[in-house]
Amino acid sequence: MQFFRDTKVNFVGVMRPAFIFSMLLILIGVVSLIAHGGPHLSIDFTGGTIMQLRFTPRPTTGEVRDALEASGFNTAQVQAFGEKDFLITLPVIQEEGSEYAADAMSTALREHLSATNIEVERVETVGPKIGNELRTAAVNSIVAALVLIVLYITVRFVFRYGVAAILALVHDVTITLGVFSLLNLEISLQVIAAFLTIIGYSLNDTIVVFDRIRENMRLRRRESYRDVINRSINETLSRTVLTSGTTVFVTACLFFLGGPVIHDFAFALTFGVVIGTYSSIFIASPILVWWTEHRIMDRKRAQPSM
Amino acid sequence: MKRSMQIRIGLVAVVLLLSIWALIPTFQAASISSQDRALARSDSALFDPQLRALREKIDRVDARAIRRGLDLQGGMYMVLEVDQKGMSPEQARDALQRVREIITNRIDQFGVSEPVIQTQGTSRIVVQLPGLQDAERARNLIGRTAQLEFLLVRPSEDYESVLNKLDTAFKQAAEAGKAAADSAGDAAAGGAESAQAAADTAAGAAADTAASPFGELPPLPQSAAEGEEEDSFVRDHPFTSYCYYDPQLMHTYGTPLLVEEENVPKIEALLRDPEAKVIPRNMQFQMGSEAIGLRSGLTARPLYLLNAQPSVTGEQLSAARISPDNDRPGSWEVNFRLDRKGARQFSKVSGENIGRYLAISLDSKVDCAPVLRTKIPNGQGTITGNYTNQEASDLALLLRAGALPTDVHIEMERTVGPSLGRDSIRAGVSAALYGALLVVLFIIIYYRATGLIAVAALLSNILILLAVLAQFGLVLTLPGIGGIILTVGMAVDANVLINERIREELRKNKTVRAAVEAGYSNATRTIVDANVTTLIAGVILLWFGTGPIKGFAVTLSIGILTSMFTALVMTRVIMELLTRNRTTGGLSI
Repeated sequence: MQFFRDTKVNFVGVMRPAFIFSMLLILIGVVSLIAHGGPHLSIDFTGGTIMQLRFTPRPTTGEVRDALEASGFNTAQVQAFGEKDFLITLPVIQEEGSEYAADAMSTALREHLSATNIEVERVETVGPKIGNELRTAAVNSIVAALVLIVLYITVRFVFRYGVAAILALVHDVTITLGVFSLLNLEISLQVIAAFLTIIGYSLNDTIVVFDRIRENMRLRRRESYRDVINRSINETLSRTVLTSGTTVFVTACLFFLGGPVIHDFAFALTFGVVIGTYSSIFIASPILVWWTEHRIMDRKRAQPSM
Repeated sequence: MKRSMQIRIGLVAVVLLLSIWALIPTFQAASISSQDRALARSDSALFDPQLRALREKIDRVDARAIRRGLDLQGGMYMVLEVDQKGMSPEQARDALQRVREIITNRIDQFGVSEPVIQTQGTSRIVVQLPGLQDAERARNLIGRTAQLEFLLVRPSEDYESVLNKLDTAFKQAAEAGKAAADSAGDAAAGGAESAQAAADTAAGAAADTAASPFGELPPLPQSAAEGEEEDSFVRDHPFTSYCYYDPQLMHTYGTPLLVEEENVPKIEALLRDPEAKVIPRNMQFQMGSEAIGLRSGLTARPLYLLNAQPSVTGEQLSAARISPDNDRPGSWEVNFRLDRKGARQFSKVSGENIGRYLAISLDSKVDCAPVLRTKIPNGQGTITGNYTNQEASDLALLLRAGALPTDVHIEMERTVGPSLGRDSIRAGVSAALYGALLVVLFIIIYYRATGLIAVAALLSNILILLAVLAQFGLVLTLPGIGGIILTVGMAVDANVLINERIREELRKNKTVRAAVEAGYSNATRTIVDANVTTLIAGVILLWFGTGPIKGFAVTLSIGILTSMFTALVMTRVIMELLTRNRTTGGLSI
């Protein structure tokens, strides 16, 4: 069985519409980010308390909210989580003893909603200091990943490939970030981990295509650069679609079956794999064409660099 | 058969056998029922040799099984920040070590199996309590300072003079603030640039005093008259107008000063105000820990004026245990005994101050202030705070374990209840099973016989990955399961790359053997290049990630390495073995 045998799709030919499409996606994401005043950071980065409570029987969201407000927790956000649980988020309070807010909230809820049995399933508290440190660490890690990857590709291929790959990565992460903003999902530590994985994975795809380009450049010196790239994308198409397919299978399983705790994480992975596959076909390689053809115009004849 | 081939077959066999061996304890641990575990943990296991053997087996097996993260087994992870304000580097280091020792001591007495308590950096302590049931209790046991002090209550005359000083100071500050605000207005109107700086500071000062709650007036319980008179009383007594003072109260409460419950935050804010520095340095105010019901139906808290220096501290405590409170049925109290040195001090203080009141204060809240009737030689005392049995025994535990030398606060906490942990395992495992099943089916349909080899590689990959986790004591978290699932999806990639390559080579009319040979050698470079970049991301995650995220980075990174081994070494050996004598014919790919 084989999905793609000897395909001859002119991927480089649709470079311009693909660029426009991507720019549009990025633009929508950026507009959404600006409208929301930046990414919606979770308490991992802003500090605060998240509590997951199981109620049997479960009251309405309004009842929980009223109970909290009656006890002075006016800034608490209440949302239904999974089938039986509520997630209560309290942004950071600087007052002394605020680390015990979870205890105070669960006590208050037990008092006001005495008809239901309340079980504390999960408490996450992050102080403003560690929140700041985690934010710095998250930014540093993404920057470090990008820099190291450019270095690696520059060593194994040439600098130009590294830049093309990084542009594709920035493209992937920006669009995923935009989608998170559009859907009003929180950026938590887990989601940052998913972003780093997307970076690694999307690159994986891009490198397989680049590797083929490098090989074909050596074998087919007479073909134009554009043709070599088209040929390379087509030759690896079967593999790209297959691998992305199986990866999406498993991340989708994680999304649907993995439980609400890693829902956003699985979503980021699934979306990232799809967008990463798209970018390695339609963005990364065409950037190489665009870049190289400008050089060809300078030097008349392209000298394959490897 | 070539020698290199034999070596590679041997290598694959050894790796697989070692992996199975490493996973045996994990299977054993999983097969022990939760009833058996509960039995082995119960106290009767201490006397029953059969149960003791079971317990030893469980301990042995668990130690070598895959360790589950706190998010999967339930438990508490905490980062505590130790307050080191105003300490020299050496003192700070000592304080950190001392806090760690005391918290270790407390947790040992609390009884949690396999707690981890470590210092992190120069001011933090990481506490991990697996399988913890009552997080609220643990939080109080770990975070509380538990400083027990015995302080003499100052006589009424001191109360009067200090209260007068406070009223004067706050009144002056309020008037100065008003004047400053006025002059700030004038200066700004003048518009001179040099005046601007003065105006800024003046306005700042005005804002500061405005923050003190002079503005709103509470209804006064017993004092002062109505209307005009009340206003002027409040203006002249910015502090005492929130309190109720009567020297006669001393006999009942050990202090002549009460604060109505709703005014407590205001009084506490005033006492923190810089103007409160007029309190003499050898005295301090402390609030009572419990509210008192007054005859008028109001509740109030006693406010004590105490010596700044404690007469005796909890450091000199030798024992603390609980007993039922005879005055309040259903309540419990904590009885303590001081050591020899403490008892001597206590006897001296009580002998010299007969007729005065001695406050017993816990974490700067006065529990009670009984009158000293006689010299107390034996150094025994009681704390009664309307405690439940558990609260009382926790307090006794804290007193025995000792006070923290400085304040600590919880800078980060992740607590997962046991039932959520079980739910997470169930969800993670079912996601992994269905994901793997889908991939396996797909590969077999797509590549047929060669697909079976890829599937074998995939399963071996999971086996080796889990074995590495078990053997090196790495922690499996929920995101870690996510990492394994992702590895399954990505491990397919190497096989796909190889098989697609072989297909291409076959299309060039190469023999099966040559196609396999060329397929592997061409795909190897691609696979390595592609995996190294993902590995870079994984290693960075390892470096930056905390808690559960680290678990993801661990399984992802190991998974990448093991998948390269299974794809490049294992499947190659199998393929070469199967095709070594084939010069003609096809390949089921």
